[in-house]
Formats: sequence, structure tokens, C-alpha cells
Amino acid sequence: MSSEYIASLGDRILVTGSNGFIGSKVVEKLLEYGFANLRCFVRPSSHLPRLKEVLDRLPAGRNVELIIGDLLSRDDCRKAAEGVSIIYHLAAGMEKSFAGAFMNSALATRNLMDAFLQFGEAKRFVNISSFAVYSNLGLRRGALLDENCPLEDAPQKRFDAYGFGKLKQEELVREYGGKYKLPYVILRPGYVFGPGKTELNGRVGINTFGFFIQVDGSHLLPLTFVDNCAEAIVLAGLKAGIDGEVFNVVDDELLTSRQFLRLYKKRVNRFSARIPYSIAYALCLLWEKYSNSSKGQLPPVFNRRRCAAEWKGNRYSNLKLRERLGWKPRVPMDQAMAAFLGQFTHDGAGDTSLKR
Amino acid sequence: MLKIAIVGCGKIADQHVHAIHRIPDCRIVGLCDRELLMAKQLGERAGVAECFSDLQEMLHATRPEVVHITTPPQGHFSLARQCLEDGCHVYLEKPFTVTADEAESLIQLAQARDLKMTAGHNYQFTLEMLEMRRMVEGGFLGGKPIHLESYWSYDLGDISYVGPVLGNRNHWVRQLPGQLFHNIISHGIAKLAEFLDDELTEITATAHQSQRLQTLGADDVLDELRVLIRDEGGTTAFFCFSTQIKGVNQLRIYGPANSMVADIITGSLVRNKGRSYKSYLTYFVPPLNIAREHFRNARVNVTNFLRQRLYQDFGMKELIERFYNGIREGGEPPIPYREIILTARIMDEIFAQIYPANRAHESAREPIASTF
Repeated sequence: MSSEYIASLGDRILVTGSNGFIGSKVVEKLLEYGFANLRCFVRPSSHLPRLKEVLDRLPAGRNVELIIGDLLSRDDCRKAAEGVSIIYHLAAGMEKSFAGAFMNSALATRNLMDAFLQFGEAKRFVNISSFAVYSNLGLRRGALLDENCPLEDAPQKRFDAYGFGKLKQEELVREYGGKYKLPYVILRPGYVFGPGKTELNGRVGINTFGFFIQVDGSHLLPLTFVDNCAEAIVLAGLKAGIDGEVFNVVDDELLTSRQFLRLYKKRVNRFSARIPYSIAYALCLLWEKYSNSSKGQLPPVFNRRRCAAEWKGNRYSNLKLRERLGWKPRVPMDQAMAAFLGQFTHDGAGDTSLKR
Repeated sequence: MLKIAIVGCGKIADQHVHAIHRIPDCRIVGLCDRELLMAKQLGERAGVAECFSDLQEMLHATRPEVVHITTPPQGHFSLARQCLEDGCHVYLEKPFTVTADEAESLIQLAQARDLKMTAGHNYQFTLEMLEMRRMVEGGFLGGKPIHLESYWSYDLGDISYVGPVLGNRNHWVRQLPGQLFHNIISHGIAKLAEFLDDELTEITATAHQSQRLQTLGADDVLDELRVLIRDEGGTTAFFCFSTQIKGVNQLRIYGPANSMVADIITGSLVRNKGRSYKSYLTYFVPPLNIAREHFRNARVNVTNFLRQRLYQDFGMKELIERFYNGIREGGEPPIPYREIILTARIMDEIFAQIYPANRAHESAREPIASTF
């Protein structure tokens, strides 16, 4: 075990959202690193195919403790956080409503942090956030979007409940860091992809109108392969001297949206049309104006903030991640894409997004 | 300017805020939630600065004239009573209360204090339902309704709601006497209650669990419900709640002369005239008449959309506005109290029949024929 780590192999570690797409990989990586005293928190409603697969496959998985509960329950949070040194908090509110997203992101995080401070042996709280918290309205196309980029100041105008929940969650984590000396690190992964996730991200295009509209295509996607992302998360919980830091998580050799979709369509038969960014921006502006003037007759799902955030096109960097965590993407982009596309057959089977 | 407050800042509160913002001469003065953070997150988005975690504190600090209660139903009775006792009119989300006795008690209190209440049966006020009501009042049916059918489908595909409910026995929905049904069916039952007499002679309910739900777990949750009702005047009604039938939220109303189908999902009202046609014309003319009805509905909906009269929460805005107008002008509340109580009574009886364990816990209950 590296002397640069704050935890020893016997430390109890909690992973929330451990049955999720990224969470199950984090559990896998922690077991591979040799941490045997793991506690996985899952929702009562969770079927656990991802987590079970990991725990069954790895010998150390037999010793993993499973806690079933709801992070909105303080009692469940206490059970989860008791005696824990590090929390990897990946559970997130994926609800479409702002209230639901806030409740399951911010409120759940507040409960978990309270329990961690009271019943845990708090060494590190790793808060998993998202690129959705950034606003690139003030950035030029092609400008660098890094950890210093401003955060979204009007998520309701962007009509992004998930981003709102994540912003509020981050605010609370920072507040707890300041007020209660919670040792925390925030990670903001970009577009996490890999086997087990079939839907195309909104940054590639829109799937709202019955067929796929690719917006622009020349913009880089902030891709991170799930295994690489999971390793960054694990390191963020272990590395000494990074309390209070924020890290973006993106891989090397990023693809443009057009490159990504081209590779995808080689594997999956799918019709798509492309519109340039300027047209998309103009249509979003019109939609936003009408939505405002009609008091929400059309909800503002398309608006300038979203248009900029998803399709404007920026450059991304993992420099801080490399320098401070010593992370590097173990799976190169070509192998990552091969693994991602390997889950599809040519008729689109495996792609649940095509079946809706 | 009517001063409004909202208690319970979860998902449905957002819809209330949007609807209230469409109504002139009213202002949200306070938000309250047991979790102050929930009140604040809504306040930040709705532009309301006064946020509280204690109802009494909010009532005293902001002095609202109307309180919208949008909490889980278990809190409705005590919160509404508190508001009424403090002199506020109350809009209570559906289901109005957990039991009919609670509903009656609240309404009596409101009447004693000269205050008004309404229930969140907003689907009674969609454009097609308003048109249907006008047609019934205008005599289109040719007399009192003979038979009613209310269909309410619910998509279990929305796992964000159903998942936590199924997986957690302590979820507030699971704690309701009617479980999953309790939180949803009042919309469909209220449509029947509007046209039924207060005296009911028969309610027969049967329920089961769909195969789909079996695959999702939750042994004791039922999700398919059928109910037959008859009132003293002989009007019969059928209610169907299904998680397996897709996209059908309808009220069908049959009179001695003609009938109508109000479809909430497509926002349409199809009027069927009971006229018969000679020979093969019966195969040609009625389908053309129905086609004309559908065409008329499409035209009306397009017109209403262009006039910005057709939007997602129209029913809620209409109900709230009528409620506020009733308060301002001293008129009747938009939903008659007898309809609210009848809806609650029908639901009580349905849940007692399909979850007999609940009935066993109740004190000696009169048979249905004499309770109504």
C-alpha cells in the first residue's frame, strides 16, 4: 500500500450507489486494490445484477457487507456510516423533477455527511458530481473547460433537474467542509461510457422527436471510460493532501461527437440527421423565448444554456487529475470504444435506447 | 392580492407554483416543509424568500389567506385542521384525506368557520371535462346518466416513482390503507362521484397483482383494480385501474339518448348520438360521425394550443383559479363537498374489500348499503 494513501487496507470503506454503472466498478477497483473491509449501500428497490456480478467474480467479494436502505433515512445513514473511514458517495437522484433530484442528491448527501461526522471515523468524503454543474456560457467555442470554469448559476433556466441536484449537493459538501471540517474531495466525471450503458448521451444529440438529431458533431466529447473513471474515483479517496480539491475526470484521446457517432453507427443501424450548432442555437433561442412568453406552455427543455453546455464545444483537460492523483487512463480510447461497442449487435440488440 | 402559502415542497408543489403564477392577483408568501432545505430549494426557484420548517410559525409570520397542502396524505388531516383553525382556506392535494371520516370532519370544521376547502382533483377541470360538463348540463345525454365508466391507467415504467415504493415497506405509499391505489385512484373515482347519488347500494371491488409487478417484487402490493358501483337511483358505474393497459384515462358517460367519452390523455371529447340508421347505412354513417368528432377535437386542440389555452397543467390552474374566485366572491367551491366525501367513502370501501386485513382492524363497520 502506497505511503501516499490516507487509508490502510483494513479501513472500512463505504460505497453508495454501489450497484450503479460506475459504483459497481468502484467496488471492483477497491477489491482489486486489496481493500477487504468494504460496505456497499444499495436502495431497497435495487435489483443488484451489476454488484452481484462483481462480488461473485472476485474472491474478496464474499466479505463485502451489504446495507440495504434509503439515504433519506437518517437511521439508515447511521447504519451505513458507522465506523467508516472513507465514503465514496456515488448515489444520485436521477429524477426528472427538481424537487426529486434535490431530495435524492442534496438531502441524501446532507444525511450521509451528518452520519459520517457523527458515527464514522471521517478521513475522506468523496463526492461524485458531474460536468452538468458547469456553465460555459462565458467561454468561447474551443476554450478550455477545467476545474476553474464557473458553475451554472441558473439551473432552472437550463431546465436541468439533475444538474440542479448536483450543484446543491456540491454546495452542501463545501459548506460541511468549511463549517464542520469534513475532509472532502469532489470529482466531476464527464460523459462516462462503457459496457452496461447503452444510451447515447445528450452531448451527442437529441433523441426527442422519434429519430436521432446529431447537433454539430465537431465538438469534443468529455469522454471517460467507466474503468478509468472508477480508478480516478478510488484514488480520490486514498491520496493524501487533496482535501477540498475538485477534479474533472476525462480520458485522453477524446473523440468528437461525429467520430463517436460514426463508430457507433458502424455497429448499430440507426438513422440520424445532423444540424449545425448555429441552427441548433437559434432553435433553442426560439424555443426558450416561446416557453417564457407562454408561461411554460412548452417547457424550456431546449434553451441557450443547455445548447451551450452540451454542444458548444470546449477542450477538456485531465492535467490536475494526473498531477495530483497520479492517475492515468489505463484503458486507451480505442480499446474503450471497442468494449463499449461490443455490447451491441448490428440490429441494435442490447441498445435499450433504440427500443423505446 | 390573495396571500398563498404551500406546505410540503416535494414534486407536486412545483406544479402548484406554476399554476399559481398563471393566476392574477395572488402571491405566494410562504413555503413550509418539515425539511427546511426542501422549502428553500423551492423558494430559490420560485422567488419566495419566506421558508419555514414549522407550519404554525409560517402561519403566524406570513398570515396567508389560502394554504395549499401538498404533503403525503398521512399529514393532510392534521395540517389542514391546523390551517382551518388558524382561519385559512385550504386546498388539499389528492387523496383528500386517508379516510372518509377525516374528510367529513375537515369539511364540517371549514363550514363551521365559514372557510373553504377543495381537493386536488384537477383532472375534473381539463378542457374536455369542462366541455363534457357543459354538455351534460345542456341535456345532451337526454336524462340522468344510466351508466358511467372510468378508466385510469398508470405506467409502471416510471420506475423512479414505483421503484422506491415497491422496495420499501416503510414508504409512505405502502403505509396507506389502499397502498398504490390510494395515492392515485381518487382522480378516476371523483369522475364517477360527480354523477352518482350520495346513496350507494352496491360496491364490489376486486384486485390482483399483475405479472409485471410480480417481476418487480413487492408481494403485497396490488396494481390491477376493478370496481362495480350502483347508486340508489339505479345509475351504475364501472371503475378500472390498470398498470398494464397503456394510455387510457377516460370517462365514459351513457344517458338515455346519447353518450360521451372524455379522454384525458388526448384531450378530446367524443359525442355519440344514439341515433339508429337503416340497413347498411349503420356501417357507414356512424363511423363518419365519429371521424368528424375526432377531427373536431384535433381542430379544437390546435386552436387552444395556438391561443395558449392548452397546456400541461391547465386543469390544476383552472381548479385553483375557481377556488380563489370562490373565496374572493363568496361563491361555492369548485368541487361540491358531497363529491369529495363520496369519493373518500367509495375509496374507503374499495380498500376495505381488497385489503381485508385493514377491515379486520377497523371497529365494527356497517355494511355498505346502510353506510351510504
